Amino acid sequence: MAFNFNWSPLIADTSRARDMLTTALNKGPKPPIIVDDITVTELNLGSTPPELEILEIGDLAEDRFRGIFKMTYAGDAFLTLKTKVQANPLNTYLSTKPDFASPEPLAASAGLTIPLQITLSDIRLSGFVILVFSKQKGVTLVFRNDPLESLKVSSTFDSIPFIKNYLQKEIEGQLRVLFMEDLPAIIHRLSLRLWSPEFQELDAETEERLDSSKSTIAPIDPLSGPPQDAVDEFGNPIDASQMATLALDSSSEIHASFSQKNMLRLASLSQSQHTLSLFTPGIREAVFRAWASNPDRPESGSATPALTQSSLSRIQSTFASVKSNASSVASGSTGQDTNASRPTLSSAYSSAAGLSLGANRSRGHQMRKRKKRVVDLRKNRDAADSSGLSTEPTTPLTSTTASETASVIPEEPHRVDNNEPALSTPPRTPINPLHSSALEPGSPTPRFRETEKPAPSDALLPPAPLLSDPPKPKAKLANATVHDFVQTEQSQRPKPAGRSSSSRPPLSHTRLRSTQQASSPLLRSLSFDKMPSYQSQKNSGALSPPYAESTTSSAGGILEQAWMLKMANEIARKVREEKGRCGGSRSPSPPERQRGSLKRPQGLWDGAEECMDAPPAYVA
Amino acid sequence: MLDFMEHVQLAFYDASHWNLDNSYGTLNATARALLDFQTPRGLRLQISSLAAPNFATSYTLGNVGVVDGSVSYLYSSLPLERKLKSSELDLHNVIRGYRQLRELRRPDEDWWWEIWHNGKRVDRRDTLLYGRIFLPQSRLEALYVRRLTPTRQLRVNAVSDSNLNNGGTILTLLQNDHGKYSTEYMYSTDSALIGLRGLYNFGPDPRNAPTAPTTSQQVAEHMHGRFSAGAELYYGLLNKSGGISTGLRFATLPNHHGFPYTMTLTLNPLMGNLSSTYAVKAGPNLALCTRFDFNFYSYESDLQLGCELWRRRSNTDVEWALKKLRPDWKRPTVAPDDDVSGILKARVDQHWRVGVLWEGRIKDLLFTLGASLDLKKREQIFRAVGIELQYSS
Repeated sequence: MAFNFNWSPLIADTSRARDMLTTALNKGPKPPIIVDDITVTELNLGSTPPELEILEIGDLAEDRFRGIFKMTYAGDAFLTLKTKVQANPLNTYLSTKPDFASPEPLAASAGLTIPLQITLSDIRLSGFVILVFSKQKGVTLVFRNDPLESLKVSSTFDSIPFIKNYLQKEIEGQLRVLFMEDLPAIIHRLSLRLWSPEFQELDAETEERLDSSKSTIAPIDPLSGPPQDAVDEFGNPIDASQMATLALDSSSEIHASFSQKNMLRLASLSQSQHTLSLFTPGIREAVFRAWASNPDRPESGSATPALTQSSLSRIQSTFASVKSNASSVASGSTGQDTNASRPTLSSAYSSAAGLSLGANRSRGHQMRKRKKRVVDLRKNRDAADSSGLSTEPTTPLTSTTASETASVIPEEPHRVDNNEPALSTPPRTPINPLHSSALEPGSPTPRFRETEKPAPSDALLPPAPLLSDPPKPKAKLANATVHDFVQTEQSQRPKPAGRSSSSRPPLSHTRLRSTQQASSPLLRSLSFDKMPSYQSQKNSGALSPPYAESTTSSAGGILEQAWMLKMANEIARKVREEKGRCGGSRSPSPPERQRGSLKRPQGLWDGAEECMDAPPAYVA
Repeated sequence: MLDFMEHVQLAFYDASHWNLDNSYGTLNATARALLDFQTPRGLRLQISSLAAPNFATSYTLGNVGVVDGSVSYLYSSLPLERKLKSSELDLHNVIRGYRQLRELRRPDEDWWWEIWHNGKRVDRRDTLLYGRIFLPQSRLEALYVRRLTPTRQLRVNAVSDSNLNNGGTILTLLQNDHGKYSTEYMYSTDSALIGLRGLYNFGPDPRNAPTAPTTSQQVAEHMHGRFSAGAELYYGLLNKSGGISTGLRFATLPNHHGFPYTMTLTLNPLMGNLSSTYAVKAGPNLALCTRFDFNFYSYESDLQLGCELWRRRSNTDVEWALKKLRPDWKRPTVAPDDDVSGILKARVDQHWRVGVLWEGRIKDLLFTLGASLDLKKREQIFRAVGIELQYSS
């Protein structure tokens, strides 16, 4: 396998990149010492291309690509900026002070503006780069860590060492921000212009929107802070309190899992893969493919108690984000075969369901949410489909979610199902890879659309009863009943006009199976991503981190986000309308009501939900 | 227009015989009044009162932001005699315009201030205390002024605001005014800025005993105008940066025969900034001012023009009747400047930024209407528009 990166066309015309850099540099509030706009006068990418070392290829097809690289750059690119600075220290000093206690100098504060030219050269970069390319959505390039190693700043004031040092320090700081936040946005927009002409008008539109609301420009690192758009994926505003929990959880979470130490471990892991060394560094909270790929391991469910619910959800939360690509390195799983094989584990029960099953039985809170998700998702899908959202959600990034979460699934439920074919559970793991891999990369979207809907539904539902009632035989029963209820519920549910009968017949078990097989992990993970966010919008109370993550994960590319927001608004509106028609208050979702009638201990359920606010890890 | 509290402070300086004009900081006060005036933003209402000769209160309400306001109190140990009611006050005291310099006054002797009672000194130093709190922002401003001796005054300005570094800043100013020359020493807690200012007036020393001028030529030379020179120096101990400037001023005195005028020239040798102003009071109702800035390091220049026009109601229809009044008849007393319908201030600079201010008195209300415009930006000409209303009793 070889890649051919063509560097020369990139250096040919940099005028547009120059303009974009100029706007990016001028967008924020400037310190008082800078009294004019900053303009980029020269931008030369140099003749030496950066060196890329492939760490992982996550997804590869003719029209899309996802990979993680280690990038080192020691080329001859340079950048020249021009601006004007206020040279009188007294002037800048007074401009930030209150008038009342100002010494009010007569002329000592008179300004002297000096044109300043800064040249940045000898740029040395080194870092992990996540590169995602798809025909539809252009290139997304994100730096995993701070890539700037060193650079040389030369300016008009080189003769004055004090100013020189000051400039060097300031510019390095600014450049770090540029690399981590602005550059990905610029590259994304440039690539959209380049590859997809149909996006160009849309791009212009989004640019306007971005200009009007600056907050949307920043979501490149959506995990480091609270989301700046107080809107979840479906366009419903998230209130402040929710935001607080959201931000808190997500930030602590991500920074915990991507610490320096973890990066070192990842590096040693990748090192070990280059050699024949059998040494595999222990990486906490990572699940290796070797563990997961053996579905018949009898006690995997109970054998993973070391992975507490909190840790699992942490993994999930980490991987649900856009930036999660690097995390696939952490898991040690590489290549797309993982993606194909992983869902097999979750065939009967989705990864999340199995996860909570094995790990923590008392987590009714999350189970309940998932249960609701099933219902909501279906509706969402309907709405999404009807609004022609078919091709959009094929984010290659998110496939990691599925694989990761799937890998920690306890196998218990599968075995149970296998033993009872009467329940007509979805196919077992050995079969699946064929189907899914056949479908995997290039399968037509319409089919996905058709298939993905049921997948999460039955996948997510079953664990709920199990949870409330741990003994296994009962659990099986519960599975069966829940399956039934899914169907009945589905058939009973009033569908949005025109959609119901044609595209969504009540799911038979056989049909369930087929859909299970067909559902690509990618799409499943997608649906995963969406559901939690919908969830978070509904759950004004304590948000568990996965949901928080998934809301932020929607801030993928700017364009995508803008578009998603638009679509999501529509979807959310429809869902709400339908909800209102159902007359259903949001607390008991239909399947649960059914269960209640089946003499399920509903009180226990409710109580469990109420006392549950956050996973222990996040409380701590 | 000065707000009520500033007016009260001026009244205090006046009552304690402190000459504000004899300071390097006010060297180009005329030009600043005519060119650098603030145009109001939004709506602002002020209700104030001098409840007792020693105590004043003022309440301000504005609509910058949503609603903001301030409450201020002032205490003066000197009873203030000046008319401060908005219906009675002299508009010349609250409108900052052309500043006519007065003759230098001989400073009081120390012993003039001594009051003895039963063998003990009972006199107190004149003190002014002023506090103002801005409500939504929770910013507190405080001022303390104390006349230490007839030639010395201590002023402490403090601002407390959580948004500022270290939560606030204090400026201490020690001013000496000896008539012939004046010096100021200041210290600001903000980056430990120390400052030094001095102003020297050429001409006869007012401290010398007023002797009859020897020759008529001497009278003509010295009494018609005053030439002053000064300098200032600042140094921030913490940020190791400083500033310096020197200045010259020539201003005519009241007994000048022609129209009064003021010329200043200031130079900032560090930053290469040269600024010259020329202000002239062309008539009782008109003052004009120009300022030219030039930087001989960057060759940047700027030109500003400003004017102040007092507009009076024509009372031609009753003038004939007034003329017929016999001199010994009792005329109806009128408030000073009662016929002033408004004062127009305008400025324009070479970038076509224009500021306009219309101030005056309607019944008991003092009003200020202002706008700043930018004629070069066609799509958004008005940059700020505002109105201020003041009432004081």
